[in-house]
Order: sequence, then structure tokens, then C-alpha cells
Amino acid sequence: MEKVGIVGYYQVQLQSEANYGRYEMIFEAVRGALDQAGLKKKEITTVISCTNDYYDGRTISNAFPVEVGGAYLTDESKVEMDGAHAVLYGLMRILSGNHKLAVIWGGSMASCYPYHSARLFETDPTWERPNALVNDITSAGFQMRAYMEKYGVSTEDIAKVAANNRKNAVKNPLSLKEARYPNLTTKEVLESDNYADPVTELMVSPFCDGVAALILAPEKQALKITDKPVWITGVGYNQDPYYLGDRDLSTSKSMELAGKVAFKAAGIKNPKDEIDVAELFEMYAHEELIFSEALGLVEKGQGANLNYEINGDLPINPSGGALGGNPPCATGLIRIIEAVKQLRGEANGYQVKDAKKAIASGQIGMCAQNNIIYVLEGGN
Amino acid sequence: MSKQTRRKSMDYIKKDYVRTRRMPGKWYLGSYTFKFNISHMTPFLEKLKQKKLVGNECRSCNRVFFPPRLVCGKCMVKPDRWVDLRDTAKVATFTIVYTKDPETGEVLEKPVVCIHQDGSDTTHIAQLEPRIDFKDAYIGMPLKVHWKDVTTGGLNDIEYYDVLEDDAKDIEVIKE
Amino acid sequence: MGRQVAVVSAGFSEHASKRSDVSMPELVNEAILDCLKNVPSVGIEDIDAFVNGNMPAFEGANIPELWMTDWMGARNKPLMRVTTGGTTGGSVAISGYYNVTAGIPGIDTVLAVAFEQQSIGDTSVGLASVAYGEISALNSLGIPYEELTRLLSGGAAIGIASYQATNYMRRSKITEEDLARVVVQNRHNAAKNWWTHLKMPDLTIEQVLDTPYISFPLRYGMVCPASDGACAMLFTTEEKAKDMCDIPVYVNGVASVSHETAVLGYNGSGAGQLDPSEQLGAMKSAELAFNQSGISFPRKEIDYAEVYAPFPNQELMWVERLGLFEENTASSMYESGVTALNGELPINCSGGVNSTNAIGASAMERPAEAALQIMGKAGNQVPKTVHTALGHGWGGVINLITMMVMSDEPARKFK
Repeated sequence: MEKVGIVGYYQVQLQSEANYGRYEMIFEAVRGALDQAGLKKKEITTVISCTNDYYDGRTISNAFPVEVGGAYLTDESKVEMDGAHAVLYGLMRILSGNHKLAVIWGGSMASCYPYHSARLFETDPTWERPNALVNDITSAGFQMRAYMEKYGVSTEDIAKVAANNRKNAVKNPLSLKEARYPNLTTKEVLESDNYADPVTELMVSPFCDGVAALILAPEKQALKITDKPVWITGVGYNQDPYYLGDRDLSTSKSMELAGKVAFKAAGIKNPKDEIDVAELFEMYAHEELIFSEALGLVEKGQGANLNYEINGDLPINPSGGALGGNPPCATGLIRIIEAVKQLRGEANGYQVKDAKKAIASGQIGMCAQNNIIYVLEGGN
Repeated sequence: MSKQTRRKSMDYIKKDYVRTRRMPGKWYLGSYTFKFNISHMTPFLEKLKQKKLVGNECRSCNRVFFPPRLVCGKCMVKPDRWVDLRDTAKVATFTIVYTKDPETGEVLEKPVVCIHQDGSDTTHIAQLEPRIDFKDAYIGMPLKVHWKDVTTGGLNDIEYYDVLEDDAKDIEVIKE
Repeated sequence: MGRQVAVVSAGFSEHASKRSDVSMPELVNEAILDCLKNVPSVGIEDIDAFVNGNMPAFEGANIPELWMTDWMGARNKPLMRVTTGGTTGGSVAISGYYNVTAGIPGIDTVLAVAFEQQSIGDTSVGLASVAYGEISALNSLGIPYEELTRLLSGGAAIGIASYQATNYMRRSKITEEDLARVVVQNRHNAAKNWWTHLKMPDLTIEQVLDTPYISFPLRYGMVCPASDGACAMLFTTEEKAKDMCDIPVYVNGVASVSHETAVLGYNGSGAGQLDPSEQLGAMKSAELAFNQSGISFPRKEIDYAEVYAPFPNQELMWVERLGLFEENTASSMYESGVTALNGELPINCSGGVNSTNAIGASAMERPAEAALQIMGKAGNQVPKTVHTALGHGWGGVINLITMMVMSDEPARKFK
């Protein structure tokens, strides 16, 4: 696969109750990304956006922001999954050779609608939805219980992940203020409100308002635009079956298969040693452990024994991850942006030393049904 | 290469179809809050209260927007210059909507027009004077703003548009 | 960079106003099985990746491609979802093309599926909610709600089409009889095609003109129906296509460009086009697609066109904007039979959107039918050999135009 470079990025400050509308936010993100890379609107050849009708409260919600997103009289399209999947489509458009510069943006405002109701509409309307027993809240409990029972992992180990991520979010100036906990202990995590036993409130990623944007370019153009491009060297994506009973919830087969494809394309034989930092989209704290095992960063069941702190062997989510703020449709894109910051040395306050290779992931669906993973490389 | 798979024909599948069970349902998603900023409209609304029209102009492409627009899509900048506009306008396009009165069952005809304000580069929806017979409406018809008596600083201050005398000599109207 | 892509098969499900014998996943499955029927050497396990799309508001199901994973045969396979409103089908087809041409390792054969089951939900409510955000902005600026709903009943897709109609009629001086003639041609064509919805082999111009007006100048007899249906297309690389079918159809040019929001504008700031029938987005889209495929004179080089026209005035407008006919001559072409089944440039021999409109799927059915005409396997096949064809899609709110230009020769032979 040829190299495609990320040349600019911008993320809006995450807020739980933004006092301005979505058009301003989208304009701020896209304009900010263009200014950071020093580009003009007329150089854009394609735009991919990522929103969701049910999160925006109207049909064809991706129609009206076309102008503010920089797509006036430009070849553009829209994806309705996570922001990371929009980057995938942008990547395909660049690899085709038809386009020279791609702008990708995605995000929504979670303060405007009842989030869990909109998630309920993802369920199967013939059986699961009328019962409403399987929904995004209860499925978190199923997944954590299955993982704990299979490998004998304790709730303290999982609470440690949540405490670590929320501590990391303190250093990240763009994370959600309400998600920052500088001195969180595992006891406090376990004693917070019950979400879906054994998941507690502080182990769940908080949804908020936010938009992020990213700019891609092919190799030749990327070297002209910036002197610090970050290369996407591998990508893999995969989708599990839908019904929870058809899957083994203690592991993530789709992440495993996606990881294999991505690592092979990037030429990585031993991810544990070669990857310097990982930014994984974890909807709940236990998913971080499940994903790190599925990707081969650690043995199965040993996820809690990996030193994932910021100055450990393999830092996971030094920016706080999704536990530091989860704007639907933008979180995967923000994970890629955080990995880019680490590789460019621009993560002030939470920089991992000498980061050369990173991975970033996104997900969509109940219990991470569809997973996508990127392998990124910094430097020339 | 692929191996041959035994394909079932469509008939085999269709003959097992008895009428599928129906699952009637009504789901209520919840109420939604729309958020939008109108700070870029404030000068516009103030001038409307004084019975004057303004539009905002983009510096790089010199397009004038009426009503004011947040971002100029062509240039990706915020238009910030305000321009005074005359109160004459033209019909840019129109259509006639046929609605059925729910009580009487009578079919009503109501014209809907898109107005192009002179001096601006955009069109917006408005209505004509109620006494005009819509069958006389045509594209390019000159109009003038008719203000409400008491203005409140909202878009409703433009009550409707009056028809002016048409000076154009080379116009040919096709009546349907 | 960029491999040559070929379409090897296209399949449809039966379209009807109420497909109450299938649920959504089963409808998709029907289209996929029909698509794979044409290529007996390909099994569902040979598909490397999937693309799926529909308009989610009409069925009341958010991201339904997660539910129908097994019905599509996509268990533990890569899958992507693309939705762009009325042009969803066209965008899904274009995305299928980009999936193959990008050359991501492991992805060579891609199945693209677009569907819609409008009878499940309430279509008019779904369409009306397109502009809710903008209506609330205008409401807060002083326009009362009742006036807005009246004004905007001329603002949905039918309203946008009627604005285009009045301006086009002024430019080209056509009459309502010309519009009815287009409708009659489409419905007669649909009667000979197996999967269409409104089959009317005996329709006459007088019958069309005898119906009441919906909104000037369109009448009830001219409007498209609301159907349930699905469509699937199979894309693969040039090398693999030769083993799969006799005449692979090479995709040479794609584009999807929009101009500005029509009629309402975002936050109620009005539309930027002074003349709705001008359609700069369509002209730019056609320019991009034709440049990519090496076509300089579309009038002579295109042998067949499928144009997305739910209302007859749009069919006349698009064939001019896309460069197939000169300005203001389209209606005389229909009158003289140039666009009929055995004419020089047949248009919409499948019946067009005027006879079948499953909103999510119809923009994909246009390139699918064009591809089948080149392969010689269409339901209503034109007698002459078709070498180059185009499929086109239109979306209402922002006038988004999707274009796909296909031919039986790969593009490098043209450049």
C-alpha cells in the first residue's frame, strides 16, 4: 500500500453543553485544520464528512453543512459510521490517484438529544427493540462479565484502567472538563453509581459535544505541504455478527482480524515491541484490555498486567482516551489526531518520549461490532 | 479461485414465504434541541426594525448575502462587511401549492415565490400581496417591499411584496 | 496508483409499493442473490468487502447495516456505510469503485448494496424533517410557524423540482404536453422491465394531463411512486473480471459534486442560485467524470444514458446540463424519437425513477441498468450495441449530482 500522509488536524474543545451551534463548530474545525497546514480552500479536491441522522435530530443531516465543511463545488461524500471510517474513505480516494488533498471532518452534539434513546434505535426492531433488554447499557455489563469470568480478571484491574485514563485526561487541554479526575482511586471508581453491574459510572466514556477535522495528502504533496507528515502505513477493518449470542464477548474477533491485516500491510511482525504508543477508542474501561489482547500487544487474559501508563512499556491512551470525552461520530477521528500529535512531538504535557510508530482505532456498534485500526509512522 | 457453490433458486426461497408477521410499533425518540447562533444576524435585525435592508458581503468573492449568511462557502471565510440594499426586488422563481382545507375539503391555491433582492446574490422565500392573482406572476416581475406598520426586529417585518409597474419592453409572458 | 475497476454484475429485488412479505434484511438478501446469479463462479465467500447504504430515517432504524450483517454474508468481513440522502445509491456505487481502485491489501472484490423499505415508516414525515433545524432558526427570527409550513410545503423535493420546472419552462418554452410525453415514454419502458413498480403499457398523454395539480406545473400523473426495493452491484479488478463474466464493464469516471443548498439555505440564509435550473453542480460533476474517462464530446461518444428524474421536467433539464443535448432542444429530441428504445441515444429504457422510486436504491439502479445494457443483459435491452453509458443521480436538498461513466474499454485506451 502506498504511503498517505496526514498533514494537518484540528480538534474543537470538548464541552458537555456547548453554547454555539454545529455550523460554527464545523467551520472552526475545518478552518483550523486548513490554517494549521497553511492551505487554501481552492486546493481541496475532496471532502468526506461523518455525522448521524439520529444524533442530529433530522433526516439527511449531512446535507446542510456541506458549505461550512469546505465542499462548495467539490467532489464530496459522506460516511455514517465513526470518524475513523471517514478517514478510511478519504484514504481510498487519495490512493485512487484522482485526488490530491482530502479534508475529513466528523462530529455531533450530544447535548441536544437523549443519547441512549438514539442508541436504542440501532437494535433489531423485530425482537430486541420491543423487549429493550439488550441495549447499549446492558450490553456493556454482558461484555465485562464475560471477560472477567473467562480470564479471572478482577474489577479492581479494570477500575485501574479507568482511573489511569481519567488522570491522563487532566494533562490534555482539549478533553472534557467533567471527565478529568487528577487523584482518582480504584475504590472511588468501584463505588460510583451502578451503570450495568459490574460496570460503574466512572468506567463509562461520557458523551459530549465536539467536532474534529483532518487533512490527508499523497506522499509527494505531503512532503511539500509540511516537514512533519505522519504516514498511514496500514489499515484494517472488520465487522462481527450482530447478535450478542453469536460472538465471544470476552475477546474481539473483528479487532483481531483487522489488526492482522493492518500489521501485515505496515510490515510489523511483533507489535508488542515495535509499537510505541496506542490510542484505542474504548467505550468502557474493560474494552481497552480486550483490545490490547486482541491486537497481540499482550497475551490473552494478561491485559491488566501490561504497563499501559504514560511512562510504561506501551502507553495506551495518554490523552485520556474516550473516557476523557466521547463526542459521537468524532471519537475515532480524535484518537487518530492524538496519535499524530504524539508522533509529531506536539502533545504538550503528555508526550511519550521518542514515539515513532503508533496505532489508533475506532469502533461502532454494540460491544464494538465494527472495528477499524490504523498503523501510523512519524518522521520521513 | 472460487469453488462452485450450490445456488438455491429464488423459487425455493419464495415458496416458503407466507405473509411475514407484522410488528406494529411506535417509537418516540425524544425531544431534540436545535442550537444555532444568530449573532451574525443582529445588525440585520436592528436595521429591519428601522425599516432598512442590509446584506453582508464576502470580501474575497464580493457576493452579497440577503438574509445574512454565517460562512461564505466559496471562500471559507466569514463575511463581515455590511451593505445597504434598495427595497426593490424581482421574482426569481415561483410555484403554486395546492392544499386541501381539512374542514371544507376545498382545494386552495397559494402562490409561493422566491425573491431575489436587488443588489444581493441570493434568493429567499417570501409571499406576494394577497390580492394579486397568481396567474399573473412571472419570473422577473418587479416588486417592492411592503413593511408592517409596527416593526419588531424580526423577519416578519417584511409583510409582503407589492407589485410594481414593469418597464421592460422586450418581455414576453407565456400564460399556462 | 489506482487500479482499473470493472462491474461484473448487477441485481435487483422486486419493487412494489408494499413488500410486506420481507423484512429489511431479507430484501437486501434478495437483491444480493439476484446479483450473484449472473456470475456463477463467484460465491459469497469470495467477496472481500461490502458497502451498504440507505436513508435511515424512513424505516426508523439507525445504522441498520449492523443488523443485516449475516443476511449480507458479511460476517467478519470489512464493511463500510455511506449515506447521502436521495443520492445514497449513487454514492454507494462510487464508494464501491473507490474500495477496489485504492488497492488496500486484501480487498479486490466488493459488493455494494443500497436499499429502502419505505412502507415501514412514514415517508412524508421523514422528508419533512430535513429542514427542521433551519425552520427553527427562521422561527426564532420572527416568521410564525404556520406561515413557514405553508411556505415550505413548496420546499421539499417536489417543491425544489417545481421551482426548477418554472425556470426551465421559461428558458425553453416547453408546454405541459412535452412533460407528459416524457412520462408516457418512461412508463411504457417500465412495462417491459421485470423489476419495476409502475408498469403502464397503455398510458396516453391525455390521461396524464387529466389529473389535478400537486404544485404548478406538476400534476399527480407525472409524479414518481414510493416503492420498496434493493439493488446490488459487484465491483472487482480488471484481471479478476475477465474470469467472471464475458463482457466486464469498466468504470472510467466518477464524480459527486453539489452546489449550494436549494431554496432554504443553512440557518435560513437563502439559496445562492438565482436560477434553480442553472445547476452548476451538475455541470461540474459532468466535467470531472468526462475528463477522467477521456470523453470530449458526450453527444457523440455516449451511447446510452440513465438519468435520475423523478419528475419529467428534470429529465429534460439534466440531459442538457450533462452535455448530451444542446440547450433547449431536449423536448424536440423526445418528440422526434431520438431518445426512444431504437433511437440514436436511448434514455431511461428501464423506466427511470418516474416509474420506480425506492429512495435509497434508485440512484444506484441508474448505473446498474447502464452497466447491464453494456453487458447485454438488461430487462429492456436496446437493440444496438452499447459501448459507453452513464448513470446519474440527483439529491434534492443540495442538488448533489453523482455520475458514473462506464464503458467496455478501460480508460487508459482513451487517454
